[in-house]
Amino acid sequence: MAARNNAAVNLPDREIVFTRVFNAPRELVWKAFTERDRMAKWWGLKGMTTQIRELDLRPGGTFLYVVRMPDGREMLGKWVYREIVAPELLVVVHFTTDDTGKPITNPYDPSLPREMLTTSRFTERAGRTTLELRSVPINETAAQREAFNKLADGMEEGFNNSLDLLDEYLAKA
Amino acid sequence: MVQQHTSSAQLDATFSALADPTRRAILARLASGETSVSELAEPFEMSMPAISKHLKVLQRAGLIERGREAQWRPCRLAAGPLKDASDWLDHYRRFWEEAFDRLEDYLRELKQDAQTKEKKNGRKK
Repeated sequence: MAARNNAAVNLPDREIVFTRVFNAPRELVWKAFTERDRMAKWWGLKGMTTQIRELDLRPGGTFLYVVRMPDGREMLGKWVYREIVAPELLVVVHFTTDDTGKPITNPYDPSLPREMLTTSRFTERAGRTTLELRSVPINETAAQREAFNKLADGMEEGFNNSLDLLDEYLAKA
Repeated sequence: MVQQHTSSAQLDATFSALADPTRRAILARLASGETSVSELAEPFEMSMPAISKHLKVLQRAGLIERGREAQWRPCRLAAGPLKDASDWLDHYRRFWEEAFDRLEDYLRELKQDAQTKEKKNGRKK
């Protein structure tokens, strides 16, 4: 059998990071993230119906959901759990899929990665929980990684450049 | 033809919001993640009302967003004027942000339910 893809080997140096602080204890945030009935209460986008088909919380297990768009189209999303350390760490591979359960081409741009390795860390301080989510492409081709890196660089540069330019502009003004 | 996405009034608001060093420091702080108003105020020797005033200016300029929670309305950078990400990255980001908004709402409901129960139990005693 071919060697399994190893995240550590394939990790590019760019990642997408989200941080959010929830006004709730970590145990509760963890439950909301890992129990099917609780997940059903919040997972998904506004204005769209999200139905959870499966939540099997164990390494190799899957979380499968269907999003129905306003125009009636349906999109299947899937996580495959990689690492579960309750209540502090959840590592999943996240992708859009079809009925076969396999990742499909990135619906936005085929040159972009199909799968994202997403690491969520939950930390608690004074009754509040910080959730830090880091996302990197996985099982991507060299070309897809390059496209992603360019995009990530563009986002960061665009942001920093805007601040730099404004700083310069304001120094002169 | 070039499409004009940003009105000059919006640009004015953005630039004047950024003309203040405290407001720029607030944006720099928010670039590393969202936070509460009191946490934002900590490094500045400023009263809460003064910080709130700065936040209102930034919000009007579309540079930051406030959470909807009444007592603890976290501030975060708004994607609009400063970011220029592609549709996918933008969608990906919004997907998580929105899911987190809903999670926030859900957790708040849970908390309120728990408090109501506590009150009821308290009365029984």
